[in-house]
Amino acid sequence: MNGPTRRLAVAVFGGFGLLLLAATWFQVIGADRYRSDPRNARTAINLTTKERGLIVSADGEILAQSVRVPENASAYARTYPAGEAFTPVVGYTSRLVGDAGIEAAYGSDLRSRRDVTISDAISAIFGRDLRPRTVQLTIDADLQRAAFAAMEGQKGAIVAINPGTGAVLAYVSSPSYDATQFLGSTAVEARQQLLDRPDEPLRDRAGQELYAPGSLFKPIVVAAAFDAGTAGPETEYPDPVELALPGTSATIRNFSRVACGNGKTVSVATAFIKSCNTTFAQMAIDVGAEEIGRSASGLGFGRSIDFPWQLATASFPARQLADDPAALAQSAIGERDVKASPLVMAMVAAGIANGGEVMEPHIVASVFDADGNQIRSIPPRALARAMSPATAAVLAQLMERVVTEGTGSRASVAGVRVGGKTGTASRPGGAPNVWFIGFAPADDPTIAIAVLVEDGGFAGDTATGGSVAAPIARAVIEAWTTG
Amino acid sequence: MTRFTESLLLGGASILAAFGVTLVNLSRGGTVDAQAGLTFLVFAISFLGLQTAIRRFAPHASTLLLSPVALVTAIGFVEIYRINPDRAGLQRWWLLIAASVATLALWALNHAGVGRLRRYRNVTLVAAVGLLMLPLLPTSWPLPISGAEVNGSRLWIIVNLGFTDLNFQPAEVGKLLLVVFLAGYLADRQMALTGAQRHLGRVAIPEPRQLVPLLVAWVASLGVLVFQRDLGASLMLFALFVAMLYAATGAVGYLTVGGVLAALGSVGSWIAFDHVQRRVAAWIQPFSDFEGAGYQIIQGSFALGTGSLAGAGPGLGRPDLIPAAVTDFIFAAVGEEFGFAGSTAVLAAYALAVATGFGIALQARDRFRKLLAAGLSLVLGIQVFLIIGGVMRVVPLTGVALPFMSYGGSSLVGNMLLMAGLLRISHEEAT
Repeated sequence: MNGPTRRLAVAVFGGFGLLLLAATWFQVIGADRYRSDPRNARTAINLTTKERGLIVSADGEILAQSVRVPENASAYARTYPAGEAFTPVVGYTSRLVGDAGIEAAYGSDLRSRRDVTISDAISAIFGRDLRPRTVQLTIDADLQRAAFAAMEGQKGAIVAINPGTGAVLAYVSSPSYDATQFLGSTAVEARQQLLDRPDEPLRDRAGQELYAPGSLFKPIVVAAAFDAGTAGPETEYPDPVELALPGTSATIRNFSRVACGNGKTVSVATAFIKSCNTTFAQMAIDVGAEEIGRSASGLGFGRSIDFPWQLATASFPARQLADDPAALAQSAIGERDVKASPLVMAMVAAGIANGGEVMEPHIVASVFDADGNQIRSIPPRALARAMSPATAAVLAQLMERVVTEGTGSRASVAGVRVGGKTGTASRPGGAPNVWFIGFAPADDPTIAIAVLVEDGGFAGDTATGGSVAAPIARAVIEAWTTG
Repeated sequence: MTRFTESLLLGGASILAAFGVTLVNLSRGGTVDAQAGLTFLVFAISFLGLQTAIRRFAPHASTLLLSPVALVTAIGFVEIYRINPDRAGLQRWWLLIAASVATLALWALNHAGVGRLRRYRNVTLVAAVGLLMLPLLPTSWPLPISGAEVNGSRLWIIVNLGFTDLNFQPAEVGKLLLVVFLAGYLADRQMALTGAQRHLGRVAIPEPRQLVPLLVAWVASLGVLVFQRDLGASLMLFALFVAMLYAATGAVGYLTVGGVLAALGSVGSWIAFDHVQRRVAAWIQPFSDFEGAGYQIIQGSFALGTGSLAGAGPGLGRPDLIPAAVTDFIFAAVGEEFGFAGSTAVLAAYALAVATGFGIALQARDRFRKLLAAGLSLVLGIQVFLIIGGVMRVVPLTGVALPFMSYGGSSLVGNMLLMAGLLRISHEEAT
């Protein structure tokens, strides 16, 4: 009677074989179909289940935080309590649309080490700290908010740097967006909606976009000329309204279409304060592309800067311009082949304010463990010497006069000595991109700033750096010096 | 395999349970805590204690049975703890109780021998039927034992001990007594039931009078379905009876007639009962009623698919989204957090236990013991197949506990008793 029993056993194992086949279907072959089914709530919930560390501002305000989800003891939701002003810096971590910003760059510090299985349990037994770490930024939360508010409704960017350390105090790109919409199950749709918006809120205008710097390039030409000795602040230059460029039929005109001084000659100082194009075109041709390129490189042009995310590299193609004085003259007034991001232009202001030494910009101050012990901090690091201290001092004085008596008067702040330079980069077929760079207080600068407003902002075609960008810079400097 | 190797494996399973508990704690932001130590202790005391009882009362018993059982118990426990820590605390008590009951059974069987059960087969029948009927007691009356309906099935009794209520599913033990009765009855009546068969063409049909027991079983199974609304127990009882009848007689005719009767019963109950119709609809097309009847099965499928090859890791999946994840759907929860690797390990462990059980049946020299071992192995195998198959849509979903893994004391006690029976038979055959 063993025969029937044996056949029954075979039947039971046949059944088990079916179970194994079914498990193979559900967990291997067809697994993806069930995992990615839109009705599978795990897809949405998984976005939020892991604890991550805090991201805090320099003054300790929480910018990103994991909070427990009430309905599930082991789940966390990521929140960005400081809002959209901080999104270009803090970024997001999304299963569906990827990671960005500090959330991406410091992911290995911010993540909880509890989510890898066996090795983590072993580490726990040996007492290793598995809790997520805290990342502290150099961003000043109030300044960032004030800067974002000053830019509200306009497209553009603001970058503020501590000139002495390179610490980034504000990093604003406008318009921005609330990153929490990338955490839910509708992240892909939310991202598509943002991509479809004509004002392009997903672009990081502060560090990842390049613009023609316009007149903001003039301080670099001045620095090169002073360092090379081809000119000083009182050197007199011819003062035409229009300059014919060598070897072409093209000309360069002053922005205001009038002569800068008396129409015969003008000093470098006056030309700088009034931002005269013809003087600087000639000055650039006199000093040469190589010297200008050296100064530009010291201030950050052509350098890839070590930053939590990939920055756009500002360009000044010195080698190509060496044999093309006409192109060099146009580049000297910040057009044609010169391109820079607001971050690099803030470095230019910071370098001048810091006596010619440019500090490498950094946006993360320290990383702490969950008990508040500092694990590492980012020390200030000098990037390059861009100009002699004497040149920097003279340039700083000229920039102060730009604010007190020149194009940058609307950046002046009562009781604070502000230095600055305006820029207006006209664009064919559109309103100009307008700029302001500056620093304050001029006797001992604690902030260097670059403001860019795309398409002339609210002012449109009539916008200039002095009328649109300078008042925004004033608001930021005021917030910094009074806050 | 020696007893020593077995004790290493049992210790390993205890460590596995404690390790799983630790991983679940870590995933929740906790640390290594007393839960892990307590779990290790309870598992070690239960399984190594049971092994000590085996050394004492059944020293020649098979060494291949207890370790796979310890493995699936540990994996199931980690999932129960992950989904509902309170219930895991209760389950630990139930594990201790079940191991104690199995120890008592080993002691009693050592005292009397398995053969003694054969003599009392009619007593066990009465006891089995009594246990199966107990839940039909009124739900509220003065006596301390009353029936209860859970999730639409009348399977539970509530024993009022004065200080606390004890919920129990008497059928979990009742079905073991039924196996004992069937083994005794079939061993005694084997000749009468094997006799001349008629042939309808090439299909063998038993004599009409030989069909009487089959019809009785059929009616009893339908009774369970009608009065207790328990599709799983009904299918299980009938399949067990037909299979044991076949094992005892070797007459294929019983399988044929049994199959026809099962088909009739299925179609009849499908026509007659809404709840059977819903089950079948959810089996064939769960997605057509996503929010309703199909919801549980689909959540199980999502869990299994999300678990994929390696699983989410203990504590890191969302098995709490599956209705009844600690009981009927514990396999889906394991599949989500332990992955295909975990489900395969579980299936392999059950296969090893069932194979060892059938091996014991094949080696048994005595007809009664042979049938008893085969019956017990069948009970284990059919339960596993019905519920895991139900979760993965191999068969319609029936509410059967997954032996040793599902949360629930009665199932754990019943299946530990089943193990004790198999262990004792293997001991007796080796001496």
